[in-house]
Amino acid sequence: MKRIACLPVAALAAFALQPVAAQAQDITIVLSEEPDLLEPCQSSRSNIGRVVKQNIVETLTEIDPNDGTITPRLATEWSQVDELTWRFQIREGVTFHDGAALDAEAVAYAINRTMDENLDCEVRTKFFGGLKVTPTPVDTYTLEVATDSPVPILPTMMGTVTVMSPNTPMGEPDREPVGTGPYKFGGWNVGTNITLARNEDYWGDAPDVANAAFVWRSESAVRAAMVATGEADIAPNIAVQDATDESMDVSYPNSETSRIRIDTMIPPLDDVRVREAVNLSIDRDAIRGSIFSKDVIPATQLVVPSINGHNPDLEVWPYDPARAKELLAAAKADGTDVDAEITMIGRLGIYPNSTEVMEAMHAMLQDVGFNVKLQMLEVAEWVDILTKPYAEDRPPVLQQSQHDNNNGDAVFTAFNKYHSEGAQSTMADDVVDDLLVRAGAATGDERRQLFQDAFKRINDEVIADVPMYHMVGYTRVGERIEFTPSISTNSELQISQIKMR
Amino acid sequence: MGQYISRRSVHGLVSLIGLLILVFFLSRLTGDPTNLFLPLDASVETRQEFAERHGFNDPLLVQFGRYIGDLAQFDFGTSLRQQRPAMDAALEAFPTTLKLAAVTMFLAISLALIVGALAAYRPGGRFDRTASVISLAGASAPDFWVAIVGILVFAVSLRWLPTSGTGTWLHWIMPITVLLIRPFGLLVQVVRGTMISALSSAYVKTARAKGVKERVIIFVHALRNSTLPVITVAGDQAAAIVNGAVIVETIFGWPGIGRLMIDSIIQRDFAIVQATVLLTAVAIFVMNIVIDVAYAVLDPRIRHN
Repeated sequence: MKRIACLPVAALAAFALQPVAAQAQDITIVLSEEPDLLEPCQSSRSNIGRVVKQNIVETLTEIDPNDGTITPRLATEWSQVDELTWRFQIREGVTFHDGAALDAEAVAYAINRTMDENLDCEVRTKFFGGLKVTPTPVDTYTLEVATDSPVPILPTMMGTVTVMSPNTPMGEPDREPVGTGPYKFGGWNVGTNITLARNEDYWGDAPDVANAAFVWRSESAVRAAMVATGEADIAPNIAVQDATDESMDVSYPNSETSRIRIDTMIPPLDDVRVREAVNLSIDRDAIRGSIFSKDVIPATQLVVPSINGHNPDLEVWPYDPARAKELLAAAKADGTDVDAEITMIGRLGIYPNSTEVMEAMHAMLQDVGFNVKLQMLEVAEWVDILTKPYAEDRPPVLQQSQHDNNNGDAVFTAFNKYHSEGAQSTMADDVVDDLLVRAGAATGDERRQLFQDAFKRINDEVIADVPMYHMVGYTRVGERIEFTPSISTNSELQISQIKMR
Repeated sequence: MGQYISRRSVHGLVSLIGLLILVFFLSRLTGDPTNLFLPLDASVETRQEFAERHGFNDPLLVQFGRYIGDLAQFDFGTSLRQQRPAMDAALEAFPTTLKLAAVTMFLAISLALIVGALAAYRPGGRFDRTASVISLAGASAPDFWVAIVGILVFAVSLRWLPTSGTGTWLHWIMPITVLLIRPFGLLVQVVRGTMISALSSAYVKTARAKGVKERVIIFVHALRNSTLPVITVAGDQAAAIVNGAVIVETIFGWPGIGRLMIDSIIQRDFAIVQATVLLTAVAIFVMNIVIDVAYAVLDPRIRHN
């Protein structure tokens, strides 16, 4: 009887759910949050980048996620004219979705718009802070880009600058982006979805997917359930505890590296033996596969192996509490106040199980004899402590943080974190400063070597942090499509790379 | 009645002004939005330039003066994140929450009146005990847990309902059910309590002695006299829902004002925080007036006083 009563409900449900079932070449992507804008120059923010970058708007160059090399996109080739100037050849025969032609003037407009202070573009503040960039068209398809200080990796940096239509208003944020990409902006039903439609006049290979809808759910379990039930085809980012189905869930290095930053300026952490003891106290193997995914990779430096400048010869700090105790005793004998209270600052939700991992490390440090207290802070308070200007009377701090660099080069990491003038640096070492300045101005093998030398000194001699892990993310992919996430899935999701089964 | 409503309106306006001042200063205590808006890698100079341009470096009283000046011209500020008028964003989200609250409260009150009245008819009986267990469990169950379990059972396992989102009537079932459980549980207990005392009163005994049907005694005589406390509790519950069905909106992806408010608090988007608080405060104020009027309509003693 009960079964019979259920039948009409199930039949009605099946009928009502029909509209949810997608057309053969249409897909639904479920993100963790709704974009607040669809401004192309904010595309380094993951919630905006996954919708617009390389889907609606494209860049002059593209960074290969596998090895960090630069490949052509809207620029076909480039060369350095002099120390301060680069020349880009713009792809011919490309039009924007609104019919405007792509040429050197249009690219110059896009660069100028991105550098406009009134827009607060993240691409500018994150990658071009303090740099004056002047684009000058030489002829219809040739553009020279000058900077006020040498930038040997300008082609890499152009992989972050999206080219929007010259009809996009200057100085006003965009909610309906127009670009040259394989997909056109369809519509934004605020709070519900954003739709993209295939650009039938695309200059490159025609993509498989005809239409894409982006929806958003902040709960990871709900995103995972949506793919499991076929309501969505991809959830680019789900929590490890929801990645329970090997047939759908794929782990990928998400370009984030976790660490504990050591404030090397404040006693007792100004003693290198104490900093080494901190590193030796942490049992990285115990955390991996328990609090963190088994797929995370113990780190030796703050950049992942595919980034130019990563040093493959560094060794992960071993877990050696006995040696840590010896170092503390030696430091104490020389007058270092190793019993002083050290504050561990964590950030709630910086990654899954962020509190649990801090509690575990707190216990590990206590076991060795450190006098540590743990404080978990909300993001705004945490950022205040992370960035300069620092309080002069601050306590000794071990601060939990995580850094994301999928932009091909260590320069996006090293200066900010380790140069004595870096906004988040808590160390001052003349040798490292010199190496970083020289690396920033060098090219090719010399550049790689200088960054590698800097990372070696930072890890082995200065010991400026506790490198934790190169982290992983989980993407759930539905059975209708083929998609392989990569290091760049953290900030973009190229629909043209998705194949229908 | 008109005089009463005007007097309440003046009181409400004073409360609203106080609330806006409080929200302005409390939200500023949570920190500077600069650090959250800009990427972590932004330089110190970029941070200072940004804070300067958006007035975050100005003394708090200067910022407050600017805010009051704008408010006097009905300018509720521009969202830092969405780069559009904050009140537009709040007004866009509000109808969703209002619809959720209205349907939920209608169902909660209707069901609670029936179940509570029947439970009170035979206190300690089988129906009463069952209703009490269900309503107490409902009033105590954490809604985020009920929501997630509901999705796993009805969407993932049985495939009867969609996991989340909006669009068809089926999308309403789980959010409404989750939102309904707590007010329903509370209201059943209130109706039951007041009905037990009403059913033992002299006028009910008189009605019985006159041979009035039990159905009429319960649902006409006793229930009408038991509705005042129910309205009071229902008003509180409705205010809680209007104030943000945060959990339900977040889990089921409903674009309501609760979710908008929480997102803007997390992002320190002060203009939207202020606009959403103002809007919900006005809604709660209007609802309180309606409840007061309902008291007067239902109870002649209040009307005549």
